[in-house]
Amino acid sequence: MNAVLYLRRFAASYSRSLVAYAIVAILWIAASLSIGGFGAYAHLRYIVELAAVIGLVGIGQTVAVIGGGIDLSVAAVITVTAIVLPLVSFDGDASGLGAIALALLAAAGIGAVNGLGIGYLGLPPLIMTLAMATILQGLLILIAGGSAISVTNPALDWIGSTHVLTISVSIILWAVVAGVCLFWLHGTRSGSLIFAIGANPVASRLSGVPIRRLTLLTYVISGFCSGLAGLLLLSMNGQGYVGIGDPYLLSSIAAVVLGGTSILGGQGTYFGTIAGAVLLVTMTALITVVNASEGWRSVILGCLILAMLPLSGRDQSR
Amino acid sequence: MLGQGARLYWAIQWRRNEGLGALFLVLVVFAVIYAFLFPGILAVGAMAKFVQGWFPTAMVAAAETIVMLTGGIDLSVGPMVSLGSVVAASTMQGPLGILGGVLALLALGTGVGAIVGAFVAIGRYPAIIVTLALSFVLRGVALLIMPRPGGFVPPSLSEFLAGSHPTAAFLLVLLVILWKLYQATPLGIGLIAVGDNAEGAYRSGVSVTTVRMSAYILSANLQAFTGLYVAAQTGSGDPLIGEPLTLSAIAAAVLGGVGFLGGQGAMRGALAGSLLMSILINVMFFMGLPLVAQYVVQGLIIVATVALPLIRASLRRPS
Repeated sequence: MNAVLYLRRFAASYSRSLVAYAIVAILWIAASLSIGGFGAYAHLRYIVELAAVIGLVGIGQTVAVIGGGIDLSVAAVITVTAIVLPLVSFDGDASGLGAIALALLAAAGIGAVNGLGIGYLGLPPLIMTLAMATILQGLLILIAGGSAISVTNPALDWIGSTHVLTISVSIILWAVVAGVCLFWLHGTRSGSLIFAIGANPVASRLSGVPIRRLTLLTYVISGFCSGLAGLLLLSMNGQGYVGIGDPYLLSSIAAVVLGGTSILGGQGTYFGTIAGAVLLVTMTALITVVNASEGWRSVILGCLILAMLPLSGRDQSR
Repeated sequence: MLGQGARLYWAIQWRRNEGLGALFLVLVVFAVIYAFLFPGILAVGAMAKFVQGWFPTAMVAAAETIVMLTGGIDLSVGPMVSLGSVVAASTMQGPLGILGGVLALLALGTGVGAIVGAFVAIGRYPAIIVTLALSFVLRGVALLIMPRPGGFVPPSLSEFLAGSHPTAAFLLVLLVILWKLYQATPLGIGLIAVGDNAEGAYRSGVSVTTVRMSAYILSANLQAFTGLYVAAQTGSGDPLIGEPLTLSAIAAAVLGGVGFLGGQGAMRGALAGSLLMSILINVMFFMGLPLVAQYVVQGLIIVATVALPLIRASLRRPS
């Protein structure tokens, strides 16, 4: 019986997300027909690989936004992972998995601090995560300075270079984590309570929803997923530097909104964020083909997001 | 001797300071530390310089507050300031000189504000995503006009605004007076009402759309002229100079008790918040701390200022 309920609510959020998928499909078909090489399998795979980074950050951002919050520290967490990983590489860790585990632990730990501040102290999410981002930015420059830190990590190289049945490991990683996230959000009790908290925190508290614990969990997930995204980014770049994560703050929020999740909380699905992430990367790729000037790229990207607003649903409540 | 109306006015004004006590206390403590460490600051010239450093943050904090009071948020403050500086530095070479530059900035501020207002007030799209997208557009336009720092601001204007005169201090006082006057108009009264309860404000005859629209136009104009001021300080335009100001503006407003849901907070809080951050940066600079340590301390202060009243409240209320 519960399954029917879940399915019904999923379908309700689903319709908005489908718009983003439709736009991606139209863009891909139109671009493939008009731009040589765009539709090639390797190129489309490259687009999805790039989208995997935004998509992973988008998991945490989606969960935070559905729960009525927002995470402005995702970019800083990505940078932390990309800089901490080379630093914590130690002897006797031949596979590099130990360093990866430490980096992910650091990322989840930062998320836990966010969650404690928001859930247990009652700080507004915007302030807590903004302050966290500011603090981390300072610490990172203190640790790394202005230089790039190269990394040699066998496990990371494997992620960055291996294809299983012509599909990149990074895409598979994204698909697996995305599947777990979708199941958790729409198929479990604690996942559906996140929606309840976002829709009406007071009612949730009075109904006995463990808001504090779930808020903590939300931001731990966000920190962990940003950490994963940082690892992917590092595996593509080969080196970490201060500012490597910066573009992903805005693009993760954009992906969430383009995917039809209400920025006011309580409504949405990660299913749409996936399309939002692919859409963002596709638009950037198309703009680069048309005109490479940084100024034009920025203008066109901004105008496109504005133009898509009517499609991604508007704020009905005000 | 006070009339009943005046007494009521001051009572309400006093009540609006509630919750700002911690901030004012921290502010006074840091101001005393600053003056104790560097007695030279108490001279008129040094004070003028200090206010000049504070002025851009105060302006953007005010701009952010106006929008936040209506229940919105502006994430395009930094790029807008950059664009303002670029427009100022490229139009003041023209035949109309300084007047031409000012007119161009007015047009820019009103135009951009009207665009945001059209999306948020009329289209009812979430301000957070509209201004986020707009920040890309504004940054791009600034880079297209001026790919790298350049242009020219008349030295006379630089000397007037950012020279040895306390012009910035007078401008701030003027702004506060104008803000008080604005709040006496129907649009100003509606500002907080709309943020607090849009439906209620509408039923009481406030034109919600007009109030929001004028808030965004006012805010964008403040940001554009912050760009002019920043350009006057450096003598040229810079397409990226405003970037850090987005976070400073939000941080100052939040520090000052301005709420994200609208209708909560007051301009004095935001100005005090921006002043605290400015003093903090100065104190740490003089103490020889590296620039990056300032970020850490700034973040900690923000958390502490907001968290302390919350902790106190939760201790008082047995749960």
